[in-house]
Amino acid sequence: MIAIRSRSAGAVPALRRFSRSTAMTLLCVVVIGYLALGVASSGSFFEGPSVRTFLQYLATPILIGLAQMVVLCVGQLNLAVGALGGFTACLMGVLMADAGVPAALAVPAGVLSATLIGLLTGVFIVATQINGFIVTLGTMTILLGAQYRLTGTRTVDGYSSTLRDLGRAAPLNLPLVFLVALVTAVLLAAFLYRATAGRRLLAAGGNPLAARLSGISTDRQTVLAHTLSGLLIGLAALTATASLPGVNRSVGGDWLLPSFAAPIIGGVALTGGSVAVLGTVLAAFVMRLIDAARAEFSLDPSWVNFLIGLVMLGTVVGGRLHQGHLERAGKNRRTPTAPTGGGTAPAADSLLAGTGGAQ
Amino acid sequence: MSEPLLACEDIVKVFPGVRALDQVGLRLQAGTVHALLGENGAGKSTLIKVLTGVHAPDGGRLRWQGDEVHLRSPLEAGRLGIGVVHQERNVIPGFSVAENITLQQPPARRGLISPAAMIGPARDCLQELGLDLDPRLPVRELSVAQQQLVEIAKALHTDSRVLLLDEPTASLSPGEAERLFEVIRRLTARGTCVVFVSHKLEEVFALCDTVTVLRDGRSVLESAPLSEHTHDDIVSLMVGRAHAATAFTPRTVDASGPAALSLTGIATAAGHEDVSFDVATGEIVGLYGLVGAGRSELVKAVLGLDRVHSGEVRVHGEPASISSPRQALHRYGIGYLTENRKEEGVFLDQPITRNIAVTVWRKLAGALGQVSSKREQAVAQDLVDRLGIRLARLGQNAGELSGGNQQKVSLAKWLATDTRLLIVDEPTVGVDVRTKHAFHELLWELARDGMPIVLISSDLGEMVTLADRVVVMAGHRVRGQVANDHDYERMSQRIIRLIHDRPAPEAAVEKGRMTP
Repeated sequence: MIAIRSRSAGAVPALRRFSRSTAMTLLCVVVIGYLALGVASSGSFFEGPSVRTFLQYLATPILIGLAQMVVLCVGQLNLAVGALGGFTACLMGVLMADAGVPAALAVPAGVLSATLIGLLTGVFIVATQINGFIVTLGTMTILLGAQYRLTGTRTVDGYSSTLRDLGRAAPLNLPLVFLVALVTAVLLAAFLYRATAGRRLLAAGGNPLAARLSGISTDRQTVLAHTLSGLLIGLAALTATASLPGVNRSVGGDWLLPSFAAPIIGGVALTGGSVAVLGTVLAAFVMRLIDAARAEFSLDPSWVNFLIGLVMLGTVVGGRLHQGHLERAGKNRRTPTAPTGGGTAPAADSLLAGTGGAQ
Repeated sequence: MSEPLLACEDIVKVFPGVRALDQVGLRLQAGTVHALLGENGAGKSTLIKVLTGVHAPDGGRLRWQGDEVHLRSPLEAGRLGIGVVHQERNVIPGFSVAENITLQQPPARRGLISPAAMIGPARDCLQELGLDLDPRLPVRELSVAQQQLVEIAKALHTDSRVLLLDEPTASLSPGEAERLFEVIRRLTARGTCVVFVSHKLEEVFALCDTVTVLRDGRSVLESAPLSEHTHDDIVSLMVGRAHAATAFTPRTVDASGPAALSLTGIATAAGHEDVSFDVATGEIVGLYGLVGAGRSELVKAVLGLDRVHSGEVRVHGEPASISSPRQALHRYGIGYLTENRKEEGVFLDQPITRNIAVTVWRKLAGALGQVSSKREQAVAQDLVDRLGIRLARLGQNAGELSGGNQQKVSLAKWLATDTRLLIVDEPTVGVDVRTKHAFHELLWELARDGMPIVLISSDLGEMVTLADRVVVMAGHRVRGQVANDHDYERMSQRIIRLIHDRPAPEAAVEKGRMTP
C-alpha cells in the first residue's frame, strides 16, 4: 500500500520536475530548430545524407562536453580538453601511419594514454594543492607542444582504412561514431546517478566538507574526475580520428570553448555538485544545429560564435532568474514541519542530479 | 563507576594563536545524556571535532572502552561507533533526503547504489523523528529546520554507541525539539551515550544526566552529575567570575538631538520581526544574543544586503532607505566592521596603506582618477598613529599582522572616511587579552568623541565593559533592553534570564522598546 502510494507520488513530481528543467527547454529548442531548418531548406535537411553528416560531427562535441562536465561536477575545470584530444588523435595517427602499429593496438594505446594523462593531472593537483586552472593551463601548453612535435606541419592521413571505414559506417543511417558517443553518455549517466563511486564524486562536489565528514575523500574524487575526463577525451580523439580525413596540429584547437559551453548551456553549475548528462548532450545538439544552419545557408562563421555566445548567456541568465524565483518561494514557506510535497519547482540546474530515484 | 564508553584525558588542541582546548577531560558513560556547556568560543565545537576525528589533538589521550585510540578521520570515528551532528550544515544540497541519510553507508550491490533500497531505512529514521517528509525530495528544497532534522536522521542511521549533537535544536521549533528529546531518551535506554550541546539551559536540565562545562578551552566542571547543580551555578561556571569590568573615563550620552540610528518595527526577509531600538550620539549600544539570534543578519539587512520588509530606519532623524553598504557609507556615513575580517574586512595580501585608504580613494583621487601614494600614505600614517597599530612599515601586507592589528586596520578604514555611525561586529574574537583591552579603549574613546556605536558581541564581558545599553536578541526578535550598570554579575544574570525568557524581578529590566 505504502509502496504503491509512494511510487505514484514519486513519479508525478519527477515528471513535473523534468518539464521545468533546462533539458526540457533544450529538447524543445532542438526539435523546433531541426524542423525549422528542414522547412527552410525545403526538406533537404530531413534526407539521409544530411542527417548522417549532422550526426557524424556531433560525436566529438558531445564527448568533449561530457569530459568537461565530469571535472566541473567536482568543482574543478580542465583547460587541456582540446590539447589532450589533439595530442591523442595525433598519437594514434602517428602510431598507425608512421610506426605501422595496427589500429586494434594503436586505438587502445591512445585512449589509455589520454586516461593516464588525466590521472596524472589529478594526482598532481591533489599532491601539490595547486589550483586546477593553473595545472591544466600548464598541461595544455605541454600537450600542444607534444602534438606539434608528433606531426609538425604535415597532415597524417596514411592510417588504417578499417578505422576510417568504421568512422564512416552508419548502420540504419546512424553513424557509428555518434552511437559511440551516445552509449558513452548513457554509461556515464548510469555511473553518475547509480554507481557508488559516481555518487561519491557528486557528493564531494556538492558539499566537500559534508562529504569529508561522511568519510569520502575529496582528493580521491578530484583524481577520479580528471581520470574520467581523460578517458572521455581519449574517446573524443578516437571519434575525431575516425571521422576526419587526416590528423594534424590543428585537431583539438577549437574544442576548449565548446567543451565549456555544452555543460553550461546544459545546466551544470561551475561551483560543482551538479551534473546534467542529458542537458550537456542536448546542448551539443543545439550548437551543432547552429553550425549546420551556417553551412546550409552559407552564413558568415562569425554568426555561429555570436549565436552560441547568446544561447549560453541566455540559458545562464534564465537559470539565475529561475533560481532567484525559487529562493524567494523557499523563503516564503518557512513553516518547518509542513512537508514540501511535490509542488515545489526544482532548481534549474538539477536535472536528474538531485533525484537518484526519480529517473 | 563503570568503565566509560569514551574518555578524554588532558586533550590539548592548538590553533595558530589560540589554545582552543587546554587539558580538557571528559568521561562518557553508556546510557546517559551528557551536557557539554560553555559560552561561545569556549571550545565545545573543537572538542567535538577532536572526538570525531576531524581534528587530531595536539596532546592528551582518547580512550574507547579503556583502550587508547587514535582517530585519524571521521570515517574511523564512525566505524568505532561515534556519530555526530555538527553545527555547520552538512548535507549535500543536490542529493535526495534518503541519499543524504544513507550517505555514510549507501545500500549498494556490486558498486551500484539502489535508490529504492535507501527509501526504507531513510523513512524509518525520519519516522523516528516524527518527520513526514518524502525521502526522494532533494535536500535543497527543504527549510533549514528540515535540513537540520535530516542531519539528525543521518546520525541515527549510523547506529552509534556515542552520538554527539552540537546545537541540534538551534533551528527547531519547540515541538520538533520535543520529538528529538524523546528519540534521545529512547537511544539512551538502549545504552547509547548522547552528548548534548545546547545554549538552552531548560533543555539541558530537562534532558541531561551529567555535565561538563568548558570555559576558555578548559573544563571548569568535568563530568559531574547535573542534579547537584542549579541553573545559576551553571551560568556562573560558564561565564566565570574573573571578569572585572574595566573602568574607563566616564562619558556622557548626548540624547538631546535626534537618535543617530533609529529602527522602528523592522521585519526582514531573514525572519526578523518587530525589531526596534535607538542609538544616540556618543552612545554604545550592545546587541547581545546567542549564535543564530540574528544580530549580524539584522545589521546586514539594514545595510541593504538583505531585504527589509517593513519598518522604518532613520539616520540622524532622516528616514533612510539603504540599498547597499556603499550607499550606507557614502550617503549616511555608516561604517560596518565585519565579524569575518579574514574574508570580508581586510585585503590580506594588499599593503596596509591600501587597506586603510580604500574607502577614501574617491576623495584622494586626482583629476584623472589616479591616487597619489603620498596622500594615501599620509592618511594611513595618521590613522596608524591614532589607533596604535603595530607594524613594521606601511607597505607591509595586512595578512602579516596579528589578528588584533588586522582588526584595527579594518577599523582604520572606516575612520578614514568621515564615518558618523559605526557598527562593530564581534570585534575581539580570537584576539589576545591585551589587544582586546586596547581595542575596548579605542571604541570607548571614539564614543566619548561623540561617535554612536552599535556593538555586536557574544562576549558578555565585552558588553558589560563597553555598552551603555544592551539590547538582547533571541530568535530574530528583541527580547528586551538592559541599561548597563557595569556590574558583571548583575548584568550577566539579567541578560541570560532575558535570553531564556525568565524575567528577573529587578525593575531595571524593561521589556520592549526603551529610549535612553
